Amino acid sequence: MSMDPVLLAVIANRLDTIVREMENTLLRTGRSAVLNMARDFSCALITGDNRLLASAEGLPVHVIGMEFVAEAVCRLHDDIQDGDAFLHNDPYLGNTHPADHVILVPVIVDGVHLFTAAAKAHQADCGNANPTTYMPFARDVYEEGSLIFPAVRVQQDRKDVEDVIRMCRSRIRVPDQWYGDYLAMVGAARIGEARLKDIVAKYGIETMQQFIEEWFDYSERRIAHVIAQMPAGEITGQGRHDPLGPLPEGIPINVKISIDPDAGTIDIDLTDNIDCVPAGINESRTCAVNNVMTGVFNSIDPDIPHNAGTFRRINVRLRENCVVGIPRFPHSCSVATTNVGERLVVTTQKAFADAWDGYGLAEGACGIGPGFAVVSGADWRKNDDAYVNQKFLGSQGGPAGPEIDGWITYGNSVTNGLMFRDSVEIDEQKYPIRVKEIRVRTDSEGAGRRRGAPGFRVGYGPKHDVMRAFYVTDGHHFPPRGARGGGPGAASIPLKMTTDGTEEPLPPISSADLQPGEILLHLLSGGGGYGDPLEREVERVRDDVLSQFVSLERARDVYGVLFEGSELDESLQVDRAATERQRTALRAHRQASGGA
Amino acid sequence: MSYRISVDTGGTFTDVAVADSDGALHIGKALTTPQRAFEGISVALANAAEAFGIEVGDLLRQAETFTYGTTRATNAIVEGKTARTAFFTTEGFPDILLMREGGKLDPFRQIPYPPPYVPRHLTFEIAERIDSEGDVFIPLDEGSVLAALSRCRDLGVQAIGVSLLWSIVNPAHELRVGELIAEHLPETPYTLSHQLNPIVREYRRSSSCVIDASLKPLMQAHLQQLERDLQIAGFTGHLFIATSFGGSWRPAEVIGRPIYSVGSGPSMAPVAALAYTAAEAGDAGLRDSLLVCDTGGTTVDVGLVSDGQINFTAETWIGGKWVGHITGIRSVDVKSIGAGGGSVAWIDAGGLLRVGPQSAGADPGPACYGRGGELPTVTDAATVLGYIDPDYFLGGRLKLDAARAAEAIETHIAGPLGWTLEEAASAILVIATENIVGAIREITIAQGIDPREMTIVAGGGASGLNIVPIARELGCRRTLLPSTASALSACGAMYGDIISEFSISRYTETRDMDFAAVNAALEAVELQARQFLADLEDIDPISTRIEFLVAARYRQQVWELDIPVATPRFTSQADVRALEETFHATHRRVFAVEEPGQYLECLVWKARATADTRKPPVGARPTAPGMAKAPDSISAFFRSTGHVETPLYDGPDLETGTVIVGPAVIREPTTTVVVYPGSTATITPLGNYLLEITPEDAAVAPDRQEAAV
Repeated sequence: MSMDPVLLAVIANRLDTIVREMENTLLRTGRSAVLNMARDFSCALITGDNRLLASAEGLPVHVIGMEFVAEAVCRLHDDIQDGDAFLHNDPYLGNTHPADHVILVPVIVDGVHLFTAAAKAHQADCGNANPTTYMPFARDVYEEGSLIFPAVRVQQDRKDVEDVIRMCRSRIRVPDQWYGDYLAMVGAARIGEARLKDIVAKYGIETMQQFIEEWFDYSERRIAHVIAQMPAGEITGQGRHDPLGPLPEGIPINVKISIDPDAGTIDIDLTDNIDCVPAGINESRTCAVNNVMTGVFNSIDPDIPHNAGTFRRINVRLRENCVVGIPRFPHSCSVATTNVGERLVVTTQKAFADAWDGYGLAEGACGIGPGFAVVSGADWRKNDDAYVNQKFLGSQGGPAGPEIDGWITYGNSVTNGLMFRDSVEIDEQKYPIRVKEIRVRTDSEGAGRRRGAPGFRVGYGPKHDVMRAFYVTDGHHFPPRGARGGGPGAASIPLKMTTDGTEEPLPPISSADLQPGEILLHLLSGGGGYGDPLEREVERVRDDVLSQFVSLERARDVYGVLFEGSELDESLQVDRAATERQRTALRAHRQASGGA
Repeated sequence: MSYRISVDTGGTFTDVAVADSDGALHIGKALTTPQRAFEGISVALANAAEAFGIEVGDLLRQAETFTYGTTRATNAIVEGKTARTAFFTTEGFPDILLMREGGKLDPFRQIPYPPPYVPRHLTFEIAERIDSEGDVFIPLDEGSVLAALSRCRDLGVQAIGVSLLWSIVNPAHELRVGELIAEHLPETPYTLSHQLNPIVREYRRSSSCVIDASLKPLMQAHLQQLERDLQIAGFTGHLFIATSFGGSWRPAEVIGRPIYSVGSGPSMAPVAALAYTAAEAGDAGLRDSLLVCDTGGTTVDVGLVSDGQINFTAETWIGGKWVGHITGIRSVDVKSIGAGGGSVAWIDAGGLLRVGPQSAGADPGPACYGRGGELPTVTDAATVLGYIDPDYFLGGRLKLDAARAAEAIETHIAGPLGWTLEEAASAILVIATENIVGAIREITIAQGIDPREMTIVAGGGASGLNIVPIARELGCRRTLLPSTASALSACGAMYGDIISEFSISRYTETRDMDFAAVNAALEAVELQARQFLADLEDIDPISTRIEFLVAARYRQQVWELDIPVATPRFTSQADVRALEETFHATHRRVFAVEEPGQYLECLVWKARATADTRKPPVGARPTAPGMAKAPDSISAFFRSTGHVETPLYDGPDLETGTVIVGPAVIREPTTTVVVYPGSTATITPLGNYLLEITPEDAAVAPDRQEAAV
């Protein structure tokens, strides 16, 4: 290291502070609930030559690969000026999926393009053929219908290019909401630009350039050290997304992982997978890369930095025209960030867990079912103003790991619990809906020595006029699996409750028109468990029973724990002798039936 | 002679400040006695009384006011020692306290999910539902309430928090549940969410509500005990309890809403900072925007004053942002940074020096404590560098072992990195400083405040060790370090007003404002504020005032900003436009953008009542002209100079107006001030320290600077 290591630490810390400041601006000023409540956005700083430098606590699915969008700006424009801003959402040019708009602001000092400040946010609407930001049945991009901006200049001299703004306003639903979100993104990126200029003024261009290289080298050393301590080996993880339209057997996924501790590298090979499909669930190149990377980062020491230096040690092999690779135009990547993307994450982390004791995680719950639907309609309270937005009322369970139970407000694997939840009252104030219930779904957790988090039971519907809901459930046919003897989470079940209280099944991937008084119900999956549930400490099982995560029956049948008393209060005590007998009996039964 | 007494009872130490009517002020310290707070208080009081030459009994008999701040409520929550509390919620929503609002800090780190504030088996679903427009969708089923109360009785519940959906729009159901509790469990204290904290967002309101209820039995007993103890000791003046509002209330009001005593101690530090800087104003060049850094053993508490107004927040979490429990109430914004003298230095796998987040705490503590701690800490680094006199730490109460400090740094840092001992020690301080600076930037910048525009006020016994490099890195030219820095919060309670806020939730949009509803809301909160002030007549405040505020946001936003309402009633469109203009300007200041022409959504209307009480003048510390002796000389190490002979001054001997040019170390009875090279310390007219970064130094290349490396 030639740079003072103390200065290295100081500057790295400053850059993370800048990213957090950008994120705070976006959260507080965004208009749509998907931004200002759920926090479905991320900010990042990228070097002038398009390497990811800092991303603080961005969503994994957003920030890894943010360098590819910056690269597109540089490739398409040879006249980048101070004061420019670019709008980019093209999945064929490095973006995740069209609903993620990115604002990129080049940071130019003394004529040198030193950095790019980027803000990426999931939009409430992106002009798709249907009022939803996820189009699973779109046979191609034309049927999908999203308005595409291939790194288009949207500000010049810090002023909007009105042509582009008008294009958005004329094709994006609830244009004022879009414009408010656009302002929030520009505000965030501009704040990043100003702070980066401050830091360059303080330390000088040369020091900053030196910092960049040293910081990447340092980050590379950190991950190399982590990999060096792992066992060598190779494994292929196999997973499967639920059936969808042209794929009645579901979408198989193969992730081949090789660890080479001597070289200090991890290789991921995704080339052995099916071709692109005529549906909106193809991965974009960026999502194929960032989702397996997330699976890897979930599986190893979390303390390492996550930037271009770290990425040097993880090689991802993709092939052209592959459902989890480089998509072939005009296949649709409308749903690239979730669903199949989530399956890439969980398949990768489960493969780690099964192959190497102490590493990896079970599978977490997947999909954006009715609890996360995009809903639309008109609001009678506000002169029939149109509304469209994704709800984050659902809660599905995180996966168990070697030491720790699953995270409850997990959301899904591509956001890893970072996103916020909707407030019931704010949702009802902003939209003409009523929430019926949100409660833990007892016995939905994947059992294990460490258990997956439970899913929830969630129901809501319109009060006065019809509400349309679009959703893409996963885990209905193939629920999240456990690892190393841990059990699966419960299946994800979408339902409709009619006005007389009857619960009727809904197709897992579909849309529904709800009449006033009808309720869109979702029984969400729990996360998979890790290790043998018969080894779970009895007091933890008691806590789970008191929390109503686990019923008395399931405690007995799956965890082998019996209690004295049956009231769910402190009087409930573990019957240790009976538990010992029950666990012995369950083990004997397992052996008799040839199980694990 | 009459006296004013203020007390800040922390977890470890009890600080008292006593002022006489001339403004002479002395501080006292003692160990906190958790069982009976008054025991510790009276020891600390004896300490201060001695300086006035009187007995504690006489002091208390002659005291006009006694203002008490305490961490009792905070500690009870952290330690899980609050009352056994039940949560009554709307049917269908039993897991509000479990889910919180989601969010997690670190994407790839697995951490255990924290339990809810009230366990599920003490949570009761009440059959009822009110809609967002206030209509009753499902009428209250009193049977479900009675069943819950019967279970509460069987389970030995000691307090109940009732928080039903949309009670802020239509409180009928909560009120009726309250009546039923009073009727069937008359001994059990309860809190109704719409009365305590009428905000939208069910998690925040419910969290406030159950925390408040859980504190009621405890704080009632605690404060009544103190009242009795004071009475027995001869005190006949007015007793006030400090609140998280930066002011104080009478005991009965705190017993009624005890959540407001959470964090009341730290919230007084900005009050002290305001009083001191106001008194020092004039030629000292101090600004009216302040960054208040109160440094303790394990945390640095940071508060803000903008343009003479103390900053407030509605996001105070106990036990960590997003994963702990939010208090949900508006309170003085004090954020704790986990960086104190005990933070441990270590080298990560990439070869980088890190400091914290692990802390050696107080036990075993830093290596130099000689209590078995072997890991190098920030305090060890300061000792090695010569900044702390090993014989004079905590006023000589703890003798430090400099050799152990050196050994720890040598073994764990200097040796492995191939640095000299001093290089390693100063690097530890730089990284520790950077951690604090980064956190302060986030706190300030997140509110649109540029730290370069601020003056720092430093408090806490350890703040003098690195406040100068912190100031330099933040770009703050001036820092005020009061001679009473080690008891900043106790001093603040001396200068606080009696403040309370009253609010009503009433949604309206400025594009078509419902004048009648808004004016009715303003009238209602004004009435409550007037009643509050009327009840204070016996203490004869100098003046009283009522200010109006509204929590508002742009159309479709969900996070509100508190905006002052200039007119007590809205009578014309011009009044509405004026409110919008104020909002645009505030939004631009905080978030860098505004949207002229966009209408506002107004949610909560508030009246803040303030009674300006009689306070002692901020007096000058008595100095003894001509007594200053030549300073001792020690060897200290600074990054820019290496080892250098450094004068060591005794603070109390220094005359007003003396200017000390760094490098120098000033020793105070309860603190140490390190005047780094490139900075100066001036003794102010009131006997405090004004630390200034010299302009040339601010421009020096970063790698020459002390903390900028």
